[in-house]
Amino acid sequence: MSVRALWIISYERGESVAVRFSRRYPTVEQRAKCMAGSLYVSVPEDGTVLQLLLTELGLSDSDKPYMALRDDCLHQQRSPALELHVEGPSGGVLWPLLVISQGPLILACLAVVDAPADPRPPLASLFSVSQGLTLLAGLQAFLCGSGSKPDREGLTSRLAMMPSILLQICPLGTPLDIPQPGASSASAMPTPAGTQKQPAWKTGVHRGRAVVNVALTEMVRSMQYGNRNRQDLWDVYGTVTCKCEVEGVLPNVTVTLTLPPNGSPLMDVLVHPCVSSLDASVLTAMSVEDCDSSAFSGPYKFPFSPPFEPFRLCSYTSQVPVPPILGTYQLKDDDNQLCITVSLKLHESVRNSFEYCEAHLPFFNRDQMGSVDVKVSSGQLEVSKEKNLLVWVLGQKFPKSREVSLEGSVSFSGELPGPTDPLCTDLTAYIKLYFRVPDLTLSGCCVDQHSVQVYSSAKPRIVTSRELLSSEYFIWNSTGTAPVSSGHMML
Amino acid sequence: MSANWPERISAFLSSPSQFLYSTTSDIFLAEVLHELRDDRASDHIKVLLLSPLLEHPTLLCPSVFVGEETALELMSVFAQCSPKSLPLRCHLLLALTSVLLCSCCVSSHTSASQDFLDLLLQMAQDTNDAQAGAALHPLRTTACDCLRELEACLPGLLSQRLELLSSLRQQENSRLHQAYTGLHALALRNAVYLLTQQKGAGAGDLKTALGSNEGFVWGEGADSAHPNSESHSDLALFSPLTLGTMGKVPSLQTGLDCKELRSLLSSLLEESYLLTSLSQAALLRRLVEVLAMVPAVSPTIFRAQLLRLLGTCKVCLLHTTLLMKAAFTDSLFSAEDEAFLLKRLVGLSQHPLLSTPEKLFYMDCILHFPENRPISSGDESLPVLLTPRLATALVPTVFNDSVSMLARLNLLSLVYLEEGEEDREGQGGRGLAYLYDHLSSLLRIVENQASREMVVTFFRASFLFLLHFCHVERYSEDLSQRLCDLYLRRTRLAPHLINLADRTQDRLEESGWAVALLRALQRTITEAPLSQLTLQDLRWHLRILARVAEEGEVLQRATLNFLLCVITSSSSALCVSGDWRLGNSVLGVCRRLLLHPSLDSLLTPLADLLQHLTCHYGETDIQDHARLYYTLLTTLSQEKLAGVLAQRGTERGRQAKVRSLSAIMGENEELTSGLTVHQTERPLLRLVKLDKHEPDECRPEHKPDSEPACETESSPGQGGIEDYRAQFQSSSFASEITLQYHLTHTGVHDPHFDKLFSIRLHFDLTDGHYEEVSDISVPCLFRTRKPPTVRLRLKPKQPYHTTLRASAIFTTEDGLSWHSPLADLHVAFPEVFLPLLTPLGWAREKKQRVFEGIWGEICSGQSEGDLTNTATSLFCDQLEDSAVGELVRKYFQRYLVSDLDKGRCKVLFFLPPQSHVLLKVITEEDAVQVHIATDNWKLLPYINSYLEDITKEIHSTQQVNGDV
Repeated sequence: MSVRALWIISYERGESVAVRFSRRYPTVEQRAKCMAGSLYVSVPEDGTVLQLLLTELGLSDSDKPYMALRDDCLHQQRSPALELHVEGPSGGVLWPLLVISQGPLILACLAVVDAPADPRPPLASLFSVSQGLTLLAGLQAFLCGSGSKPDREGLTSRLAMMPSILLQICPLGTPLDIPQPGASSASAMPTPAGTQKQPAWKTGVHRGRAVVNVALTEMVRSMQYGNRNRQDLWDVYGTVTCKCEVEGVLPNVTVTLTLPPNGSPLMDVLVHPCVSSLDASVLTAMSVEDCDSSAFSGPYKFPFSPPFEPFRLCSYTSQVPVPPILGTYQLKDDDNQLCITVSLKLHESVRNSFEYCEAHLPFFNRDQMGSVDVKVSSGQLEVSKEKNLLVWVLGQKFPKSREVSLEGSVSFSGELPGPTDPLCTDLTAYIKLYFRVPDLTLSGCCVDQHSVQVYSSAKPRIVTSRELLSSEYFIWNSTGTAPVSSGHMML
Repeated sequence: MSANWPERISAFLSSPSQFLYSTTSDIFLAEVLHELRDDRASDHIKVLLLSPLLEHPTLLCPSVFVGEETALELMSVFAQCSPKSLPLRCHLLLALTSVLLCSCCVSSHTSASQDFLDLLLQMAQDTNDAQAGAALHPLRTTACDCLRELEACLPGLLSQRLELLSSLRQQENSRLHQAYTGLHALALRNAVYLLTQQKGAGAGDLKTALGSNEGFVWGEGADSAHPNSESHSDLALFSPLTLGTMGKVPSLQTGLDCKELRSLLSSLLEESYLLTSLSQAALLRRLVEVLAMVPAVSPTIFRAQLLRLLGTCKVCLLHTTLLMKAAFTDSLFSAEDEAFLLKRLVGLSQHPLLSTPEKLFYMDCILHFPENRPISSGDESLPVLLTPRLATALVPTVFNDSVSMLARLNLLSLVYLEEGEEDREGQGGRGLAYLYDHLSSLLRIVENQASREMVVTFFRASFLFLLHFCHVERYSEDLSQRLCDLYLRRTRLAPHLINLADRTQDRLEESGWAVALLRALQRTITEAPLSQLTLQDLRWHLRILARVAEEGEVLQRATLNFLLCVITSSSSALCVSGDWRLGNSVLGVCRRLLLHPSLDSLLTPLADLLQHLTCHYGETDIQDHARLYYTLLTTLSQEKLAGVLAQRGTERGRQAKVRSLSAIMGENEELTSGLTVHQTERPLLRLVKLDKHEPDECRPEHKPDSEPACETESSPGQGGIEDYRAQFQSSSFASEITLQYHLTHTGVHDPHFDKLFSIRLHFDLTDGHYEEVSDISVPCLFRTRKPPTVRLRLKPKQPYHTTLRASAIFTTEDGLSWHSPLADLHVAFPEVFLPLLTPLGWAREKKQRVFEGIWGEICSGQSEGDLTNTATSLFCDQLEDSAVGELVRKYFQRYLVSDLDKGRCKVLFFLPPQSHVLLKVITEEDAVQVHIATDNWKLLPYINSYLEDITKEIHSTQQVNGDV
C-alpha cells in the first residue's frame, strides 16, 4: 500500500520537458523486489523514466506522424495505470505507474504491487492504487493552487516545499495525508487538554465567535438539438461548500438540505469523510437507474465535525424537468455566407436576474468572418478579435417576454483561415451559453439558515448562499448533424 | 566546495550513474558525511545532503559494514544536532531508516540498528508531550513512521510489543494518535499472521500476544528473503492477504473466546473517523486482514462504518470498501448492498465532479467487481448485475477524452457481446449498432484533419471493436470498406492501417478480416484513377502494396498491373526522376512478389516490370537490383528463389526472422534486417579471472641503455631512487596493469552457440578512473575446447577499484551476428598492485635503497606539514608469527622488497600510474604492526580495508586449521 517512487514533470508543448521533482522510496523498493521475485524491474533513472512516460502518453516525438512504439493500436491505455517498457539487461515492464496530468504538469507515481506478480493481479485488487491516486490528486491540488493552471513562480516555490511536504504526508512511501493549504504551521498545535482525541485531519482550532458559512452551487449542463429524432438532454449537479469557524476539538454541526414538495430527489450523493453518519435513504437515488417517484426526497441531514479549512461537504446530481434556457439554432449555407437564426427562451420558473449571461457562437473550419450583418432583439453583439466568434451579451435580464432572438448573416471572406475543429465541419455548429444566476437552484435544493445546527455553547452566525452556473451548455444547429453525447439518447 | 552542494546533490539524484562516473560512491559518501558533521553548514544544506542516503542507500552503502558505519555517523550527527533543528532531525531519522533497512543492517541485527530502534521507541513513548513539549510533534511522528516502516520491512519486529503500542495509541490525544494507530494496526496484523503460521496456536496465544510487552523479534525481513526460495506464505507477510482468487487466507482457530481482540478492534474502528482518509483506508485494510484471519470475530463489526464508507467521495475509502466486500462477501454485504455498490460504481465512473483517473479506476473496479457469488473467474469479466440498461450510462461519446473513450468502448463491448449472444441472429442489437455508429463518428473526425492523438485513438478503437465483434460481418465488412475510403483521402494513414492489419491478423487469426482489408486496400489503390495519383500518395501506396504482397491468399495481378501502369506509362516521369527511395519501394513490392506462391502466373508481367526498371530507371543502384531480380526470376526455380531471397520461416514476413547473408540481395529494408546484430536474451559468455600473474608483463623487458647496472652501482645514496624515477620519463612506463581471464560459456546451454567465431569483447567504463579500454578479439570459442585466455590491459588514471561493463559481438556457425552482454567485471583494489619496477639486474640492496628513499621522502614530507599527497598510517592486528608468515607468503610475496626476517619485512605496492604504497611489517609477540606510507593519501581507506580483509582471511584459515 505504498509507492515506490514519485515524479513531478512539467511539460509544455514545443517548449521544455523536465522532471522537476522526483522522490524514490528505497525501503518500499526493497519490499517490491521481494514480492516480484524474478519479475522485479528496478526503477530507472529520471531521464529514462521521463522518456518512457512520454512515449506511453503519446507525447514523444510529436513531429513524427507514426511511431510503432508510441502508436501501436495494440496498446490499449484504458486504465489510469500505465506500463513502462524498460529496455536493457535489467529491463522489463514497470507497472502500475499512476499518472495524473493537468495543464503543463504531469504527476506520476509507481505503486507497489503487494501481491504475487505472476499472474499480474488486477489493478482493482491493489490497495496501493487508490492510495497513489489520492496522493497524486492531493499533490496536484497543492501544486496548481487555486487556479487550474499554476503560475511559474508559484509552482517553483511550491516545488521547493516538496521535501518538507513529503516529510509530513509521505515520509517513507506510505501516503498518510494530502497536503493541506496552510497546514505546515499547524503541526505544532498544543495537545488538547480533555480526553477527546483531536482528529488528525483538523489542522487548527478556531477561537472566537462561531460562524458557519454554507454555499450551494449548482451547475447545469445541456445538449439541445432542436431535432425530433434527438432527445434534448440536461442535468444538474450541485456541491455544498462549508466553512465552519466553531470552537472545540470535535464540535458537531448538522447541515440539512431540503427540496420543494414536488422536487425530484438528489442523486449520486457523495459526502466528505468528515460526515460522521449517513442515513441509508440519502444514498438510494442514483442517476444510472430510473427514478422512483415515491423515492426519498429529503430532508437530507449531514451531521459532521468540520475541518479547519473550507471543504466540500457533499455533492449531488439531479434531473430537473426543464432546462432553464431553451434555445434553437439554425444555420443555412448560402454561398460562403451563413444565415443565422437563433432564439432563446428563459423558462418561467427561472428568476430573471442574471449576474451575466452570454451566448457564444464559434465558427470553425472557415475563413475569418468578413461582414457581419446580424440583428439581436436584446443585448449586444460583439465580434471577437480573432474574427471567428460571435459573442452575444445578454446582460442581466431577459426582456419581459422572456424570449430573445438573433437573426442575420455572416460572410467568411476574411484573409486568414479561422480555427479548425474535427467535430464542427460543414453545418455542425453550436452555441455555448455562459450564465450565472445568484440565489437560485434548479433542483430547488436549499439550505435553510435555521436548519443548520451547531452544538456548541455560543450561538453561531450562519450564512447561507446559493447560485446556479452554466457548464457545457450547448445548443446545436438543427440543420447540421450533431454528435451523440450520451447513452440516454438511445433509450 | 560547500557552495556546490545543491548542484552536486541534484546532479547525483537525477542520474547517480553519471554522477559516480566522476567519483566513487565511497568518496562521495565520505564527503557527504564529512559535510554533515561540519557545524558551519546550514540545516538546509544538511537536509539536502541526506537525500542521497534517503533515496539511494544501496548505492552509497552497498554492504552491511558500510551501512553500519554510516548509520553510526548519522546517529552521532543526530545526537549533536541542536534540538531546534527539527527538519534536520526528522530527515536524519528517515535517512537512518533507509540506510539500516537497505544495507541489511536490521536483518543482520547489528548494534546500530538495535540502538536506533531503542532511540525510536524512546522518542515514541513521550505521549502527549509529557517531556519534550508540542514543538517536537514532527519528530515524534517521524519516529512512529520509521518504526512502522521497520515493522513493514521486517514483519513481526514489534509483535511482542503490542501492549505498549496499544497503550501509546490510547494515551495520545493530539493529532499524533494517527501515527500510533497506523503502527499499532500494522504490528497487530503481522502478529496475528505469525500466529496463524504457528502450529496449534489458539485463543490463549492471541491473548498473550495482545498483552505482550517484551523485546524486538528479529526475524527475516524483506532484505534477506531470497526471491527463489520464498514460499507463498512468506510473501503473505508483506502483502496483504491476496483476497479472492489467490487461495485460502490463513486462519487462526480461536474458538469464540477472543474478547480482547474484539474490543481492541472496535476501539480502533471507533477512532477510524478521526484519521485522514488515506490513513483511515490503510487502517481499515489492516483490520480487514486481521478479521479475515480470525474467523471467530464477525465482520459485522464493520457494519456501523459501512454507510459512511459507501457514501464517501474519497477513492481510497471506497476502494477499501470494495476490498472489504471481496474479503467478506455475503457475510457483510447483502445482495441489495451488492446491487447498490455496483450501481454506485457505474454512477461514479461518469460523475461530473470526479477526475478522469478516478473514473477510469472505478471502471476498472466494475470489470473486477467482487461479486458475492462469482460465476466466472476470468481476467476481465462483467458482473452479472451489470445490465445493458445500466451500462448505457457509460457509452462512449466523441466528447470523452481518448483514454476514457477507449475504456468505455471496452466495457460496453463486453456488455453487448453478452447481449449479442442472446440475440439469435448473431448480428448484435441496438447497443452494438450504437457502438458502430460511434466508431463511424470517430472515422469522420479522422477524415476531417483530426489531431494525431485522435487518429491513434480511432485505430485503437477500431482494433478494440474488431477484437469483440469481428464475427459480425455486417459491421466488420463495412468497416473495412470505410477504412479503404478513408485511406484514399488520407494516404498518410498507411502505417496505421498496416499496423491494424498486422494486429488483427495476430489476434484474430481465423477471422481473415485482415486479409480482407488488405485485399480491399489493394483494390482501392489499383482501381483509383491514375490521373489523380500524386507522388506522395504513391509512396504510401507502395508500402501498402508491399504488405499486401506478403499475403499468399491475395492475388497479385492487380498490383503488378498497377505498377506497370505507373512505371511504364509514357506520361510518368518516375523513371526519369530516378528517385532512389521510390525505386527501392517498387523493388520492395517486386521482391515480395518473387516470393509469392502465385509467382508462376505473375511471371511475364513481373519480368516486364523488372526489365523496364533495368533499362529505364534513372538510378544505377535500382537498375542493378532490378537486373539481379530479373536474372533470379528468369533462371531460378520458385523453390530456389525462395531459398535465396529469404530463409522464410512459417511465420509471416514482417516478424523477426532469421536470415542468411544472402539477404543482402534484398532491398534496403530487408538488407538491414539481414545485417542486424541480434541480441541474446541472456549473457552467453563470461570471463573467469585467472589468479596467476605474468611476471614478464609487469617488468620492463629492456635494460635501460642509458643506465647500465654497473654505473648505477657506483652512484651512492639517493642514486637508486633517482634511477628508479628516471624510468618514469617514458610515459608508457608501467602505466598498465594486465589481468588475465578465461573466456568461457555461461551455464546457458544452447547448441546454437556451441561454436562461436570472431568474438570481439568490448568494455565500457563505469567511472572516470581508467583510460578507455580497447576491444579484444578472440578468434573462436568452442564449448568442447580449452577456453582461450584473454589479457585485459587497463591503464589507470587513478588507482581505484572499478567495474567494467562488458559485452561481446560474435558470429555463430550459421553466419549470424550476435550481441551479448557479459556480467560486469569487477576489478578489485589489490588487482591494481604491481611490484617495484626496476631495470633488470638490479640487486636486492638497490631495491631496498629505493624503498628507503621513498619512505624517507614520505616521512619527511609528513613531518614538514607539507600539503602534498603523502600520508603515513599504522595498522595493527593480533597475529601469531606463523600467521604473519602465511600472510606474507600468501599476499605479499610478489611485492616483497626484503625477505621476511624475524617477523619483519618490507613490501612495496606500485599502483600505476604514479602511486606507491609502502609497508613495513613488524611482528611483536602476537601482534603485527604494519606501518604504511604512501604518496597518495586517498589510497589509505582502501589499503586499510584491504589489510582488514586479508588479516580476517588469515584469522579464519587459522581458525579452521585450529579446529582441524
